[in-house]
Formats: sequence, structure tokens, C-alpha cells
Amino acid sequence: MTNEQKQTLMRERAAALMKDGAVSYVIGWRETRFPGKTAIFFVRDEKDADMLVWDEYTIPLTAKYLTENRWPDKKIGIFARGCDSKAINRLISDNQVERENLYIIGLPCEGKKDDRCLSCTQRDPLIYDELLWEPENATGTSETDLQRARFFRAEEVESLPTDARFAHWEDVYARCIRCYACRNVCPVCTCRECYVDMHRTGFQGKHHDAAENRVFGVTRAFHVGDRCIECGECERVCPMGLPILGQTQKIIKTIEGLAGTYEAGMDPEADSFLGKFDLDDKDTFM
Amino acid sequence: MSDHNCCNNNPLVPLQCKLIGITEETPDVKTFRIQCADGSKPFTPLPGQLAMISLAGIGEAMFSITAQGDDWIESAIKRVGLLTEALHSADIGDAIGVRGPYGNSFPADALKGKDLLFVGGGIGLAPVRSLILHVLKNKADYGEIDVLYGSRSYADLVFKADLFENWPKQLNTHITIDAAEDGWDGHVGFVPSYLEEKAFSPKNRACIVCGPPIMIKFSLEALERMGFAKENIITTLEMRMKCGIGKCGRCNIGSKYICLDGPVFTLSELDELPDEK
Amino acid sequence: MTQKLLLKSALPAALTALLADHAVFAPTGEAERHAFTCLSSAEASETADAVNLDGLTTISPKEILFPRSETLYGIGLENGEISTPEPTGPTVIFGVRPCDVRSIANLDCSFLEKGFVDTAYVQRRENLTIIALACKELQSPACFCDSMGGGPASAEGADIMLTETADGKAFLVSFLTAKGEAIEKLWETASVLTEPNSADTAPPPPVCTLKVDKPQDLPAKLMAAFDDPAWERLSESCLGCGTCSYICPTCYCFDIDTEISGGKAEQLRCWDCCMFSDYSRMAGGHDPRPTKKERLRNRFLHKLAYFDERHGRTLCVGCGRCIAKCPSGVDIAHVIEWGGTL
Repeated sequence: MTNEQKQTLMRERAAALMKDGAVSYVIGWRETRFPGKTAIFFVRDEKDADMLVWDEYTIPLTAKYLTENRWPDKKIGIFARGCDSKAINRLISDNQVERENLYIIGLPCEGKKDDRCLSCTQRDPLIYDELLWEPENATGTSETDLQRARFFRAEEVESLPTDARFAHWEDVYARCIRCYACRNVCPVCTCRECYVDMHRTGFQGKHHDAAENRVFGVTRAFHVGDRCIECGECERVCPMGLPILGQTQKIIKTIEGLAGTYEAGMDPEADSFLGKFDLDDKDTFM
Repeated sequence: MSDHNCCNNNPLVPLQCKLIGITEETPDVKTFRIQCADGSKPFTPLPGQLAMISLAGIGEAMFSITAQGDDWIESAIKRVGLLTEALHSADIGDAIGVRGPYGNSFPADALKGKDLLFVGGGIGLAPVRSLILHVLKNKADYGEIDVLYGSRSYADLVFKADLFENWPKQLNTHITIDAAEDGWDGHVGFVPSYLEEKAFSPKNRACIVCGPPIMIKFSLEALERMGFAKENIITTLEMRMKCGIGKCGRCNIGSKYICLDGPVFTLSELDELPDEK
Repeated sequence: MTQKLLLKSALPAALTALLADHAVFAPTGEAERHAFTCLSSAEASETADAVNLDGLTTISPKEILFPRSETLYGIGLENGEISTPEPTGPTVIFGVRPCDVRSIANLDCSFLEKGFVDTAYVQRRENLTIIALACKELQSPACFCDSMGGGPASAEGADIMLTETADGKAFLVSFLTAKGEAIEKLWETASVLTEPNSADTAPPPPVCTLKVDKPQDLPAKLMAAFDDPAWERLSESCLGCGTCSYICPTCYCFDIDTEISGGKAEQLRCWDCCMFSDYSRMAGGHDPRPTKKERLRNRFLHKLAYFDERHGRTLCVGCGRCIAKCPSGVDIAHVIEWGGTL
């Protein structure tokens, strides 16, 4: 099926959902004035549906926009690819959205014109109410089929000698402008009020320098930590082109080293790795 | 216009001052009397003007100036955040930074010859008090003066010495608290409804309103129903401020900066501004 | 006013001459690292490698006048002594695009006009000489300076204007102000200028492909649409991040924060962004602009209406950075066009 045919299906389906009054709106994508760049779009009535697009540039994640309406009066319609569905699973298991408030239209994805899609392990939606077209692969892409290593960004840094790694992160934090785009786009960054915006507490200074940037960068990475669904949106939106996906990739990779296969967002019932505990755990580190 | 005063002629650097008096008004409001480190008065504000007050190492925020003397200014400050928390634990003699005064002022001259009705809620009496004191000092210039003021409880009424001792001798006070409590035999109810109950005549009377946003909103509506012309309803606004000198951007409502063009507006002026208060 | 010729081969000598008594900022680096940096003498003398005059920098040069962070004053925690930083000395920005030069006039309005003069800004501004570089080619498909009252070859606000010759080997140089003439003398002494001959001409400037129909009465039109539901639509994809504000050459909002180090409390001024949730939230919790719809509306109305009402200028020079970089497709040109249809 061509992208154009898929796009037609999406438009028809969104228009039908709006016509039936089944959902209050449907979250998808629209064109921008530049070829090669799309933006998130809310279909709010039947005729909006004709503005939906599906092409190799429909890259932004839809899922984060669910957090703007946590207690909707009516179901929210959302188009979801594999990455979006991982995000939705995490939002459900983090109690940020309720499954019954969503109407998920699954879109098996062919991979987009974005470097980050080269290491995608899950093109097909994991959670959906309907699948709009059949997946090309029966399941997700197996790790051996990846066009680039799953933890490519973490491995770039690991390949550096220790001193150079330090210099690498110092350079990142010196260049960060703390626009918080990485935080705002991240589908698992869902605190109602971020510690950053609570500056009267003194947790995060407003000063724009490498030291304060580092506080933010490290806090963000660790807070996202084991919940990172590896979508790479943080890198896509960074206006300074900072390779920050490596931080959470490293955390996930470390978890895999400790506990075997681990991928966040595969199951809406699953706890995050670091978010579960057992009263019988031995405190061997104390 | 009064002259701005700061340190080193840099409008963002405060004068080094000290606390020479602290009065506990309510469980969470204290009045701070401030004087320059050398014993002089920081500046002479007009009624309704603002001061940027800072504690070294803590921060800086804008407050209305409640009163002034020959060699001091005073601000009544509610404990709500980091800086005000620190201010509330300060002692007499402690160093404090002040720069200002900022903003426009109540139109004290234009109000001459009129009856005045002051409407306040909670800490909102603080900015209005500077004008009440000014009017009482020049009583011959003004007509009848009424103060209608309310708070959540008796304990939360600010300036109790004024409300129950000084002012009743010179003007009409109408005090209310939100809910009945033991030992209170005065009026019980919210400010806007008390205001309507009192049915003040709008004839040759101007009204000055300040309080929490919701009280201002309902009081303005009540006053309009009572027949007050928008030009005769005056309020003073609050917005988050950082610089006080119209540069930092955040205290705008439409194209007006509250720190420069406000905080005092008539209702007819407010109607010209976008609804973002 | 006469024009001189500055051969590209003489650029290292010209920059080195400036460095004798100026701090010199010029664009260096590539892609996201493309930014105005303070040149060292080594970088100046190796211009061909270090200075990158192609394209628009990622971050505008506004930070030279309005740093991301600066100390306003320090105060001794023990003795209460106030210390203020040393003012910066003479500074040159080299190779500024016409849109970015025009943006400085906007910063001037904010920091120098309407009551108070900002001490730190005025010191830097008076010490600043602007050497502008006309666009020979369009810098990006998002450029729309010629819809916003400027143009790819506009010299408005420049002390010196450089225009690349058709053969790309030299710049035609116009010295436009007293500050510019002071540099002319410096360059004459250093023998880096030559006389242009008839073959040294500049090609016609490019024309922006993004055309934005900005009506004369845009502020009034947008203000009349303050409660229009379209603001909801315009803001729906917005992430509420600070990208647009921080890369914008004209955004000037700042925060003042305190930091304690070495027995001193430093009062710092730093960039802030009106899209952030704590920007206008008061200590008691009330926020007059509680969601991204109100924040985005305030941002665009500030640029396209409020600033105009206050200073008679639009707070957008059409550099197109925000359109190109917005991760969620928010587009100021759309807002202007929409305003035009009202």
C-alpha cells in the first residue's frame, strides 16, 4: 500500500470517528510550509480530516499530547505507530492516561526519513483499538535486523577514552540553551509540575551556564531513566543538535546488562524496572 | 513624579537599607519599616507606588508601599514564597535592599472634592492604605470617606489598630469576615455582597478596590450594578515582576507594563486592555 | 560616502587589525555550532578556517549585547558591600546579517527607551560597532526579512556594510557612521583596503521566497481577534519550549535570579521565555496566562502588536529561525498571514 493510500484511509477513518461523535478529537499530523517537516494536528471536525498527512516525514510522536487532557469528557482518538504505542503503554502504566479514555488507531510504520528510525525495534503498534492496515512484518523488527545498533548513541560515547567522555559531556552542557524542548517533547516526562519550574525551591537555578545546564541534563536523564522508550524525540527537537539520547540509552543498556532483556513501554501492565521493589530485597549495597 | 533611587545610578542595583521596625499584622502578614543604612529615607513614594525589596542571597520581589514617614517607608508583606518566608524570619537591624519607587500612583489630585469608598480584601488593603493615609492627612480636600474591608477571619484582618481604633474616629469603617466565629459580632460575609448590601450612592463618589483577583472581579461587577461609572472605579493590579523598570517583559497586560504604566488603573482603562489579569 | 574594497585575502589582516583594541565577534563553526564567538588572534589570522560567513547562525548575535547570563551586581553576605562587574570595552561584531542588525534596533527600544536606561546594556551598546554583511544568497527558505520592512541588503543599523562582489573574491565596504569611519581609519593604517574598480560590482540582492502579507494595521487586527478560537489551533502543536525565544534575535525577556558563591550573593540576569509555566505565575500561585494558548498568544501579540504600540516597530525581523527550528511547526508567518485575513 502506498503512503497516499494509507493517508486516505486515515482521513476517512478520522472523519468517520468525528462524524459518529465517538471521540472529541483525533491526534495526527499535518503538513507545514516546508517539505520534509510535519507537525502534530488535532482533527476537531469532519472536514479537518482532509488535512491529515502520512508520509516519510510524519515523525513527531503523537502520544505526548495526551497528557494535556488527562481527564477527557469523551474518548480521545489518536494515531499510533510502534513508538507512539510504547509511549501510550508507559503513560497508562504511569497512571497518566486511562486506557478507556483512548481510541487508538494503530498504524504499522514503515520507518521514517529520520536517523533515529534506523534503530527502531518496534514499528508495529502494540496497543490499539483497530489497525488501519496490515503490518509488513509479522512482528516488530528483530534486533539483528536493525540498520543501526539499538544503543548507537550510548556506544558512540562508550567508544571514547574516559577523559574524552568527560569532555564530550562538558561540551554538550556548555552548548545546551536549556529551552527544555527535550523535556517537553518526551512522552514519559509527565510530572504535572517539573522541578525546573519550581525555581522558588532553589532546585534549579535560572543561570544559563554549563553547571546549571548539567544539573538539568543529568536530572532529566535519570528521571526519564528506565522509562525511556528510546524514541529519540529529545534529539529531534534539540535546536542545538545535542546527542542526548545517549544518556537514557546508557541507562537502558545498563539495565539490560544487569537484568537481561528490557524495553520500556512494551506492556501497559509492566512496572518500570527501577520503579518496582520487593520488601524481601536484600540491601546488599548498604 | 517622585525620583527613582537605587545604588550606583544603576536602576537594577538596590540601596542598602535596614529594617527598623517589624509589626505582626496577622499570622502570615508582617509590616516592615525600612530605612537606608545611613538613616535617611530611601525615597518618597506617591500613594500606590511600588518598591522592589530584596534580601541578599535570597531574591527580590515587588511590593506595594503601605505607608511612609520622614525617614522610612513601610510595606505590609504576606508570607507566600521563598523571599517572603525569609523576610518573615528577619529581625530589626537586618540588612535589606530596596529600589524604587515604581509605577504610577493613585490619582490623589483628581480625587479631590469627591467622596471616597475604599474596598479591600485580605492583604489587598496594603496598597490602598497608602492612599487612605494620604487622604486623612489632607482631609479637607476630600468628602466623606468609607472603608469596606474583609478577610477570611478576624485573625486575618490587617492593620487592626487602624481598623478598630484610628480610622473609626476619622472615617466610616465597614468590616466583614468570611465566616462567623466566636467573639466576632461584626458583619459576616464576602466583600462583594457586603458592598451591594451597603448600597453606597455613586453620586460624586469614587471607589478604590484591591484584593484577591476573584474579589476584585465580583466587586467591580457589584460597583457597576450600583451605578458607579467606570472612570470612578480604580483598582491596583498585581503581576509577577522581575525588573520593575519595564524591561524584563513578564508583567504586561496587553502593551502596558504594570511596573511602569500601572499598577493603578481605572475600570475604563482596564476595559481597554486584554482580559489577562 | 565612498566605497572601498576589502579583498577576502585581506580578511585575516583586517580582523587582526580590529583585535588590537576591540573584542571581535564573528560567526564560527558549522551546523548547530554556527554561532558568533569571540575571536582569538590565532583565529583572526586564520580567517579562512575559523570564520564561517555562510548562512545564518543557529543562535542570533543578540547575546553579545544581551548575554544569556550576566552578573548585575554582587553583594557581600558579611559586609553588604556591592560590587558591579567591569564594563566591557570596545567590541566589534563582524559579518552580521541585515535581519540580525535590524533586531538590534528592537533591543535598543526595549533596553534604552520608555523611562529607564539599562546600565549594563547601554555600556555594551555604546561600545559596539556593527559590521554587517549583505546576503548574496538566500540564507534559508524560512527567510522573510523583505516582508518585515528589511531586506537581504538592508544597511539599516549598520556602522559598516559589506557586500560581496559578483566574483566572490572581495567585499565592497561602505562606512556609514562615525563608529564605522573610526574602523575605516584603522583599516587604512593597516593597508587592508583598496580602491574598487568598475568590475567590482555587487550582484542584485536575492529576493525572499517566503512572502508574508503583513497588513499595515496588523496590531489592531490581531488585538480585535484576542478572543478568537484560532489561538487554540495555532497553539495546539506547541510544546511550550523555549526554542523560538532563545534563537530569536529580538526576544529580550529576562529573569533575575540569585546565586551564592564565595561569600557573595550574585544577582544574575538571564534569558527567560514567556512560554515557560513559571514565567508569569505569581508567588501565591495565580497565573494570568495559565496554559500554552494564553502564553503563545501573548508571545505573538508581544511581537506583532504590543511592541508596535509601545515602540512603533514590529518585534520580528523575519530571520525565519523560529519557523525553521520549531520542533512542532508553529509558524509566526502563519500568524501574520492569518492576521491579514481578519
